[in-house]
Amino acid sequence: MSTLAAVGQSIESLLATPPYDRSPQERQCALLPLLKQELAYASDQNPSFRNYVEHWPIDYRTAGKIADLPFLPVAAFKANPPLSLVPATEVIRTLTSSATSGQIPSHIVLDAATSKRMTRSVIAIIRSFIGPARRPYLVIDTAENITPQSQLGARGAAIQGLRSFATDVFCCLSRNQTSEPSLDLNELLAFAGKWKDADVLVYGFTYIIWTHLVQPLLRQGIVLGMPKVHVLHSGGWKRLEQQSVTKDVFVRDVAAVLGCCTDRVIDYYGMVENVGVVYPDCQQGNKHVPVLAEVIVRDPLTLAPVRAGQQGLVQVCSVLPTSFPGFLLLTDDMADLIDYDGCPCGRRGTYFRFARRVPKAEIRGCGNLETARYSSGQSSQV
Amino acid sequence: MNNLIRAISSAVEMRCASQRIREVSRAENVSADQVLQIFERWAAALDSTALRQIPGVTFLRLWLRRGTLEPILFRELGQGCLHGEWSDQGGVRLRAFPLGVVGHWPAGNIEIQPILSLTCALLGGNSCLVRVPVGLVEPTELIMEKLHEVDSAGLLKRRIFLASFEHSRTDLHEAMAQVVDGAMVWGGLEAVSEVRALPFPHWARVVVFGPRISVAAMDAHAWADSNQQSSWCRRIARDVWQFEQQACSSPQTLFLERGDGCDTTEFLQALRQAFEEENRAHSRQQIEPALTSAICQARASWLLGNLSNRAWFPESPDWTILQGTGLDVPEPTQGRTLTVLLVDDLLEVISRFDGAVQTLGLGIRNADREEALADAAGKHGVDRIVRLGQMHVFGSPWDGMDLIRPMMRIVRHGRSRE
Repeated sequence: MSTLAAVGQSIESLLATPPYDRSPQERQCALLPLLKQELAYASDQNPSFRNYVEHWPIDYRTAGKIADLPFLPVAAFKANPPLSLVPATEVIRTLTSSATSGQIPSHIVLDAATSKRMTRSVIAIIRSFIGPARRPYLVIDTAENITPQSQLGARGAAIQGLRSFATDVFCCLSRNQTSEPSLDLNELLAFAGKWKDADVLVYGFTYIIWTHLVQPLLRQGIVLGMPKVHVLHSGGWKRLEQQSVTKDVFVRDVAAVLGCCTDRVIDYYGMVENVGVVYPDCQQGNKHVPVLAEVIVRDPLTLAPVRAGQQGLVQVCSVLPTSFPGFLLLTDDMADLIDYDGCPCGRRGTYFRFARRVPKAEIRGCGNLETARYSSGQSSQV
Repeated sequence: MNNLIRAISSAVEMRCASQRIREVSRAENVSADQVLQIFERWAAALDSTALRQIPGVTFLRLWLRRGTLEPILFRELGQGCLHGEWSDQGGVRLRAFPLGVVGHWPAGNIEIQPILSLTCALLGGNSCLVRVPVGLVEPTELIMEKLHEVDSAGLLKRRIFLASFEHSRTDLHEAMAQVVDGAMVWGGLEAVSEVRALPFPHWARVVVFGPRISVAAMDAHAWADSNQQSSWCRRIARDVWQFEQQACSSPQTLFLERGDGCDTTEFLQALRQAFEEENRAHSRQQIEPALTSAICQARASWLLGNLSNRAWFPESPDWTILQGTGLDVPEPTQGRTLTVLLVDDLLEVISRFDGAVQTLGLGIRNADREEALADAAGKHGVDRIVRLGQMHVFGSPWDGMDLIRPMMRIVRHGRSRE
């Protein structure tokens, strides 16, 4: 059996496992050898990646724990051409991160196998939070983001990742004359009226929901009356923080305009570089790591894993990709590691809380010719 | 914060402070000789265990000695400058006068820089209004306490006002700029650009030091000499470690000139060892997460970007050596990340320098060769050419400029009578 086939089989076995049932030890036993196999495979496929891995201070082949394996910073995916483990002919889709102006987006290449696994993984994770049923899907975005394309941005990827839960799909925003998204209120009210007693899935980027759904509805005093919705949102809090909108206020007002309880509004953390793995909040407000992944929170001073209760840089690990070397990635995010196991919600394994994006470095040195050290290192949250 | 450094919150406070120290400098002349006497006592008072913990204080003690400063004064202002007298030159009289109140905007990464900056202006008889960066309040205060002890008559301390306020308080920066006659500005591009744009009086002289970067270079006779390798590498490590490689005089790249039959393996091994030893002796106590990210990214992009590139680094972000080839200085990462580039001819490297390179640290065996390199470096914008291990030794001129004279006016008196 080829390395790739063996890797594929191991991933399949993990995909068939309930996402949050395994203890930390069981996860380590399953993931460590698989990640080593994937590193070996990636090194064979990509000489540049091999050059990086060979210079890592610890030989991955003899590493005793996942934390010792060579990780890439997410910004490595801003390279052009994109880091890839497959020939161009096998790439079926390229995902791009939501880089803001002046920033270079990440490019993530997907082949059919990785794409399929990504979808299955997201379904397994989301099921654990909203149940398995298919239901009407209200997308707080414009229709162009639900059209399958070879190039897909972070918002499109997140929207499409949830399509497996959908029966009907309705996008409630459209572009106005100035190309700004605006709410199609009459159609939204019709959708809400039609499905007011049904389980409905709602998804949107956090700031899109706030700006284009919650604010207009609050201004007009409209409540949609959909008590059985599940609202999933992602994309980070930066823009809302700029408007001094806290998470509590966001959840309260989203629930108010939809007419549901606040526990039906679920924030999740994810990024295109870690495609196929998302981290929704549980009822305790914690983010959980599924069995085919791991999260290591590293002390910025030493890069060693932190102890429970400490904050650090987030490293995401995933066995899912075989089309790009995204197994072990150091992100630009900070998180509080709550513990390695034992969340009262019952999900096993590492749980954490997102803290903030890595703040821009303070510019203070007379040797600093840059206006911003961190100008190109940001953002890829979905 | 005690009384030595005042937390300023309004433009009025700034104006009052400036007015007070301006009146002192107008009412009381202080000669360079008197300043040097107080500086000597200050240097002696700084000899304490607690103060030696502040990076740069050992150097500051040397800087404050008459033996260091008198030659600088003589070179910049002439032999008769110590007592502030008129001198006859070709039938006219010349005398250096202070500008008045000099504002200081030191960089936030060098603990002793507020002090170094103000000493230059004090030697010219100026009063000093110093914006102490928030992160430097504590070391500045400890050092200034000693000046207050030795300056019992208050000759200097009454003409110094140390202000602390947040970088973001544009109104206070503006207020400070409006009440000075000269400014010494140090720092990174963003900080310097912001200060340059402040509303200084039209007569104010604004002198800007930085932002610059620095590089090191060695010829094969130096780096391939196995008897000297460890010594050179210790010097390089010391230059990299000081000021967290964020100073304008910090080497970001080391160019190694190839030599016939010379292999870099042994040298790079010695460099790794020197970095490890320096790290043991001076380990980091804290780091900004963005710098950790930048270091990780520098390692990755270097190794992913070219198959022949090599690198050495520990699991931590403590230090990084990136090795490859190339004639240009790569974008600096700082944070103890040194790029080592093999080149055929150092002259070719230097010929590509622009005005960004401040200091060239050299390890060159042949004196003629070194002079040729220094000549080329001078032509291509380099302001300091020094031996490796001495890249941070502060002195005049700095950034190609005098340190004392720019904050003085040379007044010419042509007599009205025959």
